[in-house]
Amino acid sequence: MIKIPLDARDMEHPIPLQLALKHLQSMTQEEYLYMIHRKNPIPLIELAKEKEFVYLVEQDKYEIWHILISKNQNIKLEELIDV
Amino acid sequence: MFNQGGLSMEQAPPVMVVLRFFVTASIFGVLLGVYIMGDIMGVVPTNEYSLSVIIVHLLALGVMASFMFGALFQMLPVIAGVVIKMPTKKSMVTNILLVVGLMAQLFAFQTSSSILYLTASILLGAGLLHASTLMLKELIDVKDHSSSSRGMLFALGSFVIAIILGVYMLLTLGGYIDGNLFSDIKIAHYSFALFGWITLLIISVSFQVVEMFYVTPKYPTVMSQYLTGAIFSLLVLKVVALFSGLGSSILDSLIALLFIIYAGVTIHRLYKRRRPTSDATVWFWRFGMAMLILSMSMILVSNLTGTKEPFIYISQISFIGFALSIVFAMVYKIVPFLVWFHLSNQGYMEAPMMFDVIHPKRAKVHFWIHISMILTWILSIPFINIIILLPILMIISFSWLLYHLVMAIKKYNYTQKFTEKIEW
Repeated sequence: MIKIPLDARDMEHPIPLQLALKHLQSMTQEEYLYMIHRKNPIPLIELAKEKEFVYLVEQDKYEIWHILISKNQNIKLEELIDV
Repeated sequence: MFNQGGLSMEQAPPVMVVLRFFVTASIFGVLLGVYIMGDIMGVVPTNEYSLSVIIVHLLALGVMASFMFGALFQMLPVIAGVVIKMPTKKSMVTNILLVVGLMAQLFAFQTSSSILYLTASILLGAGLLHASTLMLKELIDVKDHSSSSRGMLFALGSFVIAIILGVYMLLTLGGYIDGNLFSDIKIAHYSFALFGWITLLIISVSFQVVEMFYVTPKYPTVMSQYLTGAIFSLLVLKVVALFSGLGSSILDSLIALLFIIYAGVTIHRLYKRRRPTSDATVWFWRFGMAMLILSMSMILVSNLTGTKEPFIYISQISFIGFALSIVFAMVYKIVPFLVWFHLSNQGYMEAPMMFDVIHPKRAKVHFWIHISMILTWILSIPFINIIILLPILMIISFSWLLYHLVMAIKKYNYTQKFTEKIEW
């Protein structure tokens, strides 16, 4: 699987959403988005849900959010998360 | 548009709900400039009373309430998780009653016609109460309040009080009820409208958006948790003091001090941005906060010296500068985002990016027009001859915004009509 990294920790709203959406729209079955953010990006997760993407959201001990999203329904995101 | 409440596209109001209010506000801004120009040139028959109340209500209702209702229809679902059902219909009812009611009110102030005062009290009262109680009711039902949603509760509560007192005053002016308490009610009315509704709403929203938009450190917890409640309580105490025949200058000074502290903290937060970039909306925020400090300092000076003029006049103008600056900062963030977000989510790959909707350079130009307008207004106190520049700059300022809003709507419609949509 090909990782699309997106470090949004220092980005001003709504740039993280803008970039993530761009990646999701052009994403192939072999790719997944790995985003790290200072906040839980709920609108992005809601959109991923609506569009039936698979996703995983977890906060690490430094309070950084890790968000993984993919089109591939068989992907095991919990094996790819780095928390 | 913010990432706290969990917004799905089904819950988000259509983009036109917000833009219609913003266009209405800009048109009223242009009208205000035209009215002031008419007064200066002597073509509008005015007396001192009608002139000031017409200017104040064009600004407070035509401009500010329209902008704020538009923003609230957009932000309540996101900031507070409140879903307003049938937003298009409900916002349209509010918008129409606000426009027609305000026009009736302005003509009532101009002509002192009893029937117009009655018409205004019914239409404006119904329109404003319709939207504010609708939002207030939904907010009261929220179980787990954030500092922003709690502050919005106090802001909308203040607005409901200000509207009811305003209706009382309109009916008194129309000769329908006895106006024994008119003077005290007038003070309570504008205190809740300006310091409760407008300022508390801006403060509540800032707790969420300043950190998110500009990647700043968080506000101190004691401030985000207790400031809005404390100011609302002080406003209630002020009204109690007024009706008990006691002076309210100590309470006024306390409120002013709290606003100064808040504005100082906000400016400090904006200087602590993690990635400072040149952005007109930050300039608007900084200028707005500086104006709030100036406005409140003038109240303190006036209270300390016991002298009203010119301090109160400077305070009023700088308060207008504060409120308009923050509103413009929000509009230049909200509109490009909404147009891009709605189109993008609908699958239009050629959706204009945010800077294509309204280019940041255009917002910078507006900032300089706006700052010139406010400074001209303040400087016209000692240099009365420059007052002619005020309506010209006001008309340019609101026309500039109106033009860009209309262009944003055109780009939105064009993309929907003439570009390809994908399923994703």
